[in-house]
Amino acid sequence: MARLELRRLRKRYSGSTDVLHDIDLSIDDGEMIVVVGPSGCGKSTLLRMVAGLEAISSGELVIDGECVNDQEPAERDIAMVFQNYALYPHMSVFDNLAYSLKNRGTPKAEIAQRVEATAQLLDIGALLERKPRQLSGGQRQRVAMGRAVIRKPRVFLFDEPLSNLDASLRVQMRQEIRALQQRLNITSLYVTHDQTEAMTMADRLVVMNAGRVEQVGTPMALFRKPATRFVAGFIGSPAMNFLTFSVNTLPDWLPRVPAETNEPLKGELSVGIRPEHIALTTLEDGHIEGCIELVEPLGSESLVHVRIGGHDARLVVRHGGMELPEVGQVTGLNFQGPFHLFDRHGQRLSTRLRLADTNCSMES
Amino acid sequence: MAPQLLIVLVFFFWPAITALRQSLYVQDAFGLGETFAGLANFTRVLASQSYHEALFNTAIFSVSVALGAMGIALLLATMADRVLRASRVYRTLLIWPYAVAPAAAGVLWMFMFDPTLGVLSRALAALGVHWDFRLNGHQAMALVIIAAIWQQMSYNFVFFLAGLQGIPASLLEAAAIDGAGPWRRFWTITFPLISPTSFFLLVMNTIYAFFDTFGTIDTTTSGGPGGATRTLVYKLYQDGIVGLDLGGSAAQSVLLMLMVGLLTLVQFRYVERRVQYH
Amino acid sequence: MRYHRPNLDVLAHTILIIGALIFMLPVVLAVLASTQTPGALFSGTLPLWFGGSGLEHYLTLLSEPVRGVGVPAWQLMLNSLLMALGIAIGKLVFAILAAYALVFFRFPFRRCCFWLIFVTLMLPIEVRIVPTYGVVADLGLLDSYPGLVLPLIASATATFLFRQFFMTLPPELMEAARVDGAGPWRFFIDILLPLSRTNIAALFVIMFIYGWNQYLWPLVAMSSADHATVVMSLKRLTISMDGTPPWHLATAMTVLALLPPVVVIVLMQRWFIKGLVDTEK
Repeated sequence: MARLELRRLRKRYSGSTDVLHDIDLSIDDGEMIVVVGPSGCGKSTLLRMVAGLEAISSGELVIDGECVNDQEPAERDIAMVFQNYALYPHMSVFDNLAYSLKNRGTPKAEIAQRVEATAQLLDIGALLERKPRQLSGGQRQRVAMGRAVIRKPRVFLFDEPLSNLDASLRVQMRQEIRALQQRLNITSLYVTHDQTEAMTMADRLVVMNAGRVEQVGTPMALFRKPATRFVAGFIGSPAMNFLTFSVNTLPDWLPRVPAETNEPLKGELSVGIRPEHIALTTLEDGHIEGCIELVEPLGSESLVHVRIGGHDARLVVRHGGMELPEVGQVTGLNFQGPFHLFDRHGQRLSTRLRLADTNCSMES
Repeated sequence: MAPQLLIVLVFFFWPAITALRQSLYVQDAFGLGETFAGLANFTRVLASQSYHEALFNTAIFSVSVALGAMGIALLLATMADRVLRASRVYRTLLIWPYAVAPAAAGVLWMFMFDPTLGVLSRALAALGVHWDFRLNGHQAMALVIIAAIWQQMSYNFVFFLAGLQGIPASLLEAAAIDGAGPWRRFWTITFPLISPTSFFLLVMNTIYAFFDTFGTIDTTTSGGPGGATRTLVYKLYQDGIVGLDLGGSAAQSVLLMLMVGLLTLVQFRYVERRVQYH
Repeated sequence: MRYHRPNLDVLAHTILIIGALIFMLPVVLAVLASTQTPGALFSGTLPLWFGGSGLEHYLTLLSEPVRGVGVPAWQLMLNSLLMALGIAIGKLVFAILAAYALVFFRFPFRRCCFWLIFVTLMLPIEVRIVPTYGVVADLGLLDSYPGLVLPLIASATATFLFRQFFMTLPPELMEAARVDGAGPWRFFIDILLPLSRTNIAALFVIMFIYGWNQYLWPLVAMSSADHATVVMSLKRLTISMDGTPPWHLATAMTVLALLPPVVVIVLMQRWFIKGLVDTEK
């Protein structure tokens, strides 16, 4: 049980630019924080810095009020689940679980008893004598979890632990991990590139891009009010649609908002609309028209890809109807809001321009 | 780490540097003094008739051993690869000569070719060939070449068999579907695909023929008759250890080091390229 | 992939069997000759079956001082064994430690060390024999076991094999061990050594054979009979003034010299193949 604080953490490899810029984050006791972002955004580096596997270039890492920058991984009292599990191939499951306890000089009887308890917790009691290569992917994943749990660490670290599993097992394991984490109530930092995994598991989400934190918040807050265009595009599936307009030629259907600022809008604006907020309609009723290029039936709904002539853009529409529209058909599109506006730097306009509350259709 | 470096430094670099230094000096007859001689040792060595002969012998010897040992090994490995299930049995039957010391291999073949008792020399006599490697330089060379091939073949066999078994079956199946018979498949698919192995073995066989065969030559012909089987290493040994010509042997050492260095470089470039394949 | 071509299979087996027989012939003949009485051997009959002497020549060689060497062959074999074990174990210990340092630690001149070791890879002792003799003489190690073994440990093949193997291990393994509270030394003992078992076995076979079969260096550096090895002593029995060597003894001595490494390679074939083929990668 611990509070974890990251204060202006920075990572720089010698001779190159920073890969992490001033990361600030504070994690509450028992909280599950999921760090999500595309590959190369620095999320794994961040996790490895917390683990003590990468040196911290500047800033402070604080666990329970104590700066642990210079401590070895083992001294930080953290446990980590690796992407490839990193089970010791020559040791039995029992020895894999017991290894960290042995290194700490835990008495044999206690080791046996704790291995037993952990095995029971994770339902791997029957596998204790086996070697890792005799286990299935899901079983290895459990053993890796067990190796982390057995220590009763202050902090759990997960480095994309589910990415080596097949889809159905991934869904099952993410539920189990979440349940276990809540039951043990251990502060956790979980890294993934899968936004569904991130949304479903997190107390709070951290979206990272190019070495910076884009936004921190609960999954729903990020979904409803993405702070940047990047977050808007990353969170939610299928991804948000964007249309670009010059400020001088904003379309009629976009509700006008009086801005309480002296700074006039300049350049281009991105308007984001989620696929579920667009409806297919007749040409007369539509705000805009386009040609249907592709229809992907998913069963309960379909994804309809529509090419918009004037914008050279392709919009994805979530279509609930049972009968599928035809490819090649020209259709009208009706935007139902909420709309998300981003300036040319990708910042959310509502926050920067302090838009008036009077027009709620701008806001979600 | 430290002890390994120390040993490398003391037993490798120190001798290497000593050789380099000695190659630039001339020692007097009593080994009491030495004078700087520049490249005189090198010019003396390079100009001498016996060095040319040794170079020529080494070339003949190396090429024959490499081609012979690789050719036979490739033939046998291809056959063993064909009879998949039995290939392990044949491997056991064929790899053990690797464990025989080159010196012992020399003795074995010397016995086979013994002018009075040898099985093979008697067979040759029946064919009308008078065989005495103690008198005939060409026959002496043939003897050491055969002994070296016999010993080195198993090494090549292991690598060729591994290389052949590493070729994806689907490639040969595709070729078969495309109408290529076994002979054609071998030359158009198998042979190009094992060319990295062949190249590696070519370098290794050359190095083997250069150095490891010292024992083979020493136990059988001692470089004779009349220097007919005196290779570069054998000459280096004779001049340096037996003849005590420090400057000359050091110059030969340096020249040999350059040759091996060149081979190493070629080998390393090849290793680097291979790494990129993976 | 193997197509049904019975003719080709028969051909393949035929070629392989002939090949195997040809490769066995010299050793078979040597074994047969070593059991002949000198009289029978030198009378010129072909030694096509075991002769009348049985193991007599072997017992003579092992118990009485060998002609031209001065000590019995069992002493030579013992020296060979000590040399082979010394070289094999020495190389393994140094190689595994060096590879561990090269792969898992960052330290100054790491690349430089790598190159130092790499350059020794292909420069066999035969090239530097004269100056090495000088160095060993200066150190007072001529005619001693350390002098026999140490210069031959200075080679890098084994270091490369271990380096290659260590680099295939996922780096997470070491990280997991760090998180689990294992320091560098513990990681080496608990994780790396057990995982290297097959590689160690493979290299041991190769290095043992390499060590046992050394010829030139013991010949040059071990002038006293006390440190002579069996392989370097072969020549004493093959040179003779009157032209024909004492073949009954020479063949027996050769069989003694080749038997231990051949037994090792046949028994440990699996590891040997693995080690040999892996060094190439």
